[in-house]
Amino acid sequence: MKELKLQKIGFIIILAVATLIYIGPFLFSISISFNADKNVFEWPIKLFPETFTLDNYKNVWNELPFGKWLFNSVLVTTIQTVTNVFFSALAGFAFARLEFKGRKLIFGLLLSSLMIPGIILLVPKFIILNEFRLINSYAGLIIPGLVGVTNIFLMKQFFETIPKDLEQAALIDGCSYFRIFWQVFLPISKPALAAVAIYTFQGSWNEFLWPVIVTYTENMYTLPLGMASLRTELMTDWPLLMAGTILISLPTLAIFIIFQRYFVQGVASSGLKG
Amino acid sequence: MATIDIEQLEKTYPGADTATIKGADLSIQDKEFIVLVGPSGCGKSTLLRMIAGLEEITAGSLLIDGERMNELSPKDRDIAMVFQNYALYPHMTVFDNMAFGLKLRKTPKDEIKEKVEHAAKILDISHLLNRRPKDMSGGQRQRVAIGRSIVRDPKVFLFDEPLSNLDAKLRVQMRAEIKKLHRTLDATIVYVTHDQIEAMTMGDRIVVLKDGIVQQFDSPMNLFNNPQNKFVAGFIGSPSMNFLPGIISVDKEVNFISEDLKFAVPQDLKPSLKPLDGKEVVFGFRPEYIYDKAVEKNKRLSEDMEIVIDSLEPIGSETFVYFHYKGNPKYTFCFRSDSRHQYTIGETVTIGVDIDRLRFFDGKTEKRIM
Amino acid sequence: MKFRSRKKEQLFWGYVFLAFPLFLLSIFVFFPIGFAFVVSFYDWNLLIPDKPFVGLGNYFELFKDPVFIKAIKNTIIYTLGVVPVQTLLSLFLAFIMNQKIRGRAFFRTAFYIPAITSSVVTSIIFVWIYSKPGLLNFGLNSVGIDSNIDWLTNPTTVLPSIMMLNIWTTSGYFMVSFLAGLQNIPSSLYEAAKIDGANQWQQFWKITVPMVRPVTYFVVIISLIGCFQVFDQIFIMSSGGPDNASTTMSYFVYQNSFKYFRFGFGAASAVILALLIFATTLIQKKYFPPEAY
Repeated sequence: MKELKLQKIGFIIILAVATLIYIGPFLFSISISFNADKNVFEWPIKLFPETFTLDNYKNVWNELPFGKWLFNSVLVTTIQTVTNVFFSALAGFAFARLEFKGRKLIFGLLLSSLMIPGIILLVPKFIILNEFRLINSYAGLIIPGLVGVTNIFLMKQFFETIPKDLEQAALIDGCSYFRIFWQVFLPISKPALAAVAIYTFQGSWNEFLWPVIVTYTENMYTLPLGMASLRTELMTDWPLLMAGTILISLPTLAIFIIFQRYFVQGVASSGLKG
Repeated sequence: MATIDIEQLEKTYPGADTATIKGADLSIQDKEFIVLVGPSGCGKSTLLRMIAGLEEITAGSLLIDGERMNELSPKDRDIAMVFQNYALYPHMTVFDNMAFGLKLRKTPKDEIKEKVEHAAKILDISHLLNRRPKDMSGGQRQRVAIGRSIVRDPKVFLFDEPLSNLDAKLRVQMRAEIKKLHRTLDATIVYVTHDQIEAMTMGDRIVVLKDGIVQQFDSPMNLFNNPQNKFVAGFIGSPSMNFLPGIISVDKEVNFISEDLKFAVPQDLKPSLKPLDGKEVVFGFRPEYIYDKAVEKNKRLSEDMEIVIDSLEPIGSETFVYFHYKGNPKYTFCFRSDSRHQYTIGETVTIGVDIDRLRFFDGKTEKRIM
Repeated sequence: MKFRSRKKEQLFWGYVFLAFPLFLLSIFVFFPIGFAFVVSFYDWNLLIPDKPFVGLGNYFELFKDPVFIKAIKNTIIYTLGVVPVQTLLSLFLAFIMNQKIRGRAFFRTAFYIPAITSSVVTSIIFVWIYSKPGLLNFGLNSVGIDSNIDWLTNPTTVLPSIMMLNIWTTSGYFMVSFLAGLQNIPSSLYEAAKIDGANQWQQFWKITVPMVRPVTYFVVIISLIGCFQVFDQIFIMSSGGPDNASTTMSYFVYQNSFKYFRFGFGAASAVILALLIFATTLIQKKYFPPEAY
């Protein structure tokens, strides 16, 4: 028994050290963002700044096109989240609950597209958008991410867990298939819809590669790209850079903390599917 | 008025080798309470779902009130259905669950309210109208599911094993209530169950199904007393009918022979069994019609048979007595005794079978010979 | 709407529901897959209107390009370094967290935060940490290790540094996957093992590891695909330098396609990367299938 206790203490020590490693970097970046002293490299490095200031956060708005980037990010993320929820629900319902010719074939196509690494699609997508003169436009930023295959899978899997009886009861009550989707399935799918919304939000908000490729003027940048573009010129102003990165992280962090259980559920189910 | 006529109905699932329903012919009268019964996988639910329009009909025709229904979608058949798992809409209140079908049919609001409240009163769920399904017990949910079907006032009610998720006591209670409801509603009901007791107690007539084939369509008492084949004879009644395979052999007497067991058939049966000399038959006798000769003196019983009691199952009001014939454990049978009489295991008892109740089935076709 | 049969109704709604998603996926997924191969056979440059067909020319050029060879090497080193460490680390953390330890929710959140944070944010923070007067050197010096390298501009340390960052960011995510898998193992198995006399270590290797094999399979696949395509961190932290010491294949694809606009050449390198990923996942499926018990 004594051994067990020792072991438990050992485990807690390991976890505590690991926690420090996992969140320590964030603590330092928060500290730097409040530091009035621009020289963040003075040794010994301290976790608490000697002179505390909010100026860095003010300057993010004043000295950088942060507001414009925020607008772009919010626009892209909002539109993609709404469309992903709606279209993945529609397609998921069709795959899970409707029987029609070609369903299996189309689904197989989707399934195999998941095995294609995204990197191979970049050049063709760029060429297509360029044909339509959509490079460096909101449309070019947004349209390729309006609907994602993984979300369709998530919704399909969820809809498959709803008992068939419910759909048949609705048929007998006089529902058309659209009404079954709209009035019976959607209202009881809130957890799955929330999961899709949260995943899409996180993905869109943090997306980096696509904005890098499709935008080339500063006023079209999204937040991550904007901050990354400053990395060389701002290397001398670390407090300002850190304040910006902290601000970018807040929405995802808030959503994660509020909706934690959806994350864990989602990861759990995708893990088992593997 | 709602009659249902099923003519040569067939169902084959795509990709399946054999048909699930094979040439069913049923003619259901107006206001009849029909029960579809059979072992699991016999096709009873499929048949019900074909009537509902939830399963496509492969061949044959389905008529309700003389009108062909095959191609109509469920909502246009004027039917209502109660599901095994209730299938209540979890996001709607009881009121909304019951009103949903009416709303879709554009029934005026006050009429909906009136109908729902009326149905709720019949089913004694008026106090639950604002609850949601997850806040109710299984029995209450089942009432709501029934309520949802009666507000629509359909021509035909379909019940798909509605009581199988309830506990035993509630099941008996709901059984009586559904029967009462049938009288109140004056409607045609088709009811599926795998429980033969439920079938016997509820149905005006019963359809016994096996492997997608209608075995017999008859009143409960006829099924019990005059089963048309060995399957029906064994399926209806609990404990099951005793069966003993053997052959008919005619010498001076008409004998039934099964391996080392041989007895002469009673006088009355001789004329009809005599032509069957050498034929393989199955001899059947119900536990209800076996009597202890020391107790029962009035009935016309077959000749004495000595048996040894193997085990006893007292269920209170009566006891099921399992025995070996001639001490041979290969022949284990059962009879019912009232609980006034005490038996002990290993005891030898002389019994006889009610002569009017002996049944013989063809050994090959399993059809009843007599 | 009136339909002649339920079948027709389902056919109608099925395609109505799928219409828009399919339209989009056709343009941005299905068509580009084939188109990528087509482009890779042309000398296709955004800035030059003439696009001559060169057959396998781009591919031959790739394998003669020392930068591409280096990119392949770097990508393989990166993947072989990150995937096993990350998998074992996250399984180990999950195993510890699965012991009835108080504050589990707190630890889980802490480990997960790097995974949900933008790669730009974590990269920028680590640029600071890895810089010459940064936190890493300060930490090493304060425990008595004399170190004053600039981790990201030194050709020998740049790639391992970025690998460490990658392990740090995604292991929390995989830890949660493993934790879910661990919680599905019936506790009676551990009880039986204890009665059979297995210690913690033996329980871990003889019960936990085999029982979470399906999760391990998932984690390794996702981790592999991610590592092969690593881009954000390279772009932000080192831009492939110094002297291509951290140029990975995806960065190579990006550079050639969208900096020099050599679409044909870039597409060809993307095709090779895709084939490499595809082959690796096939090998994994064949030799380490996700058997469940």
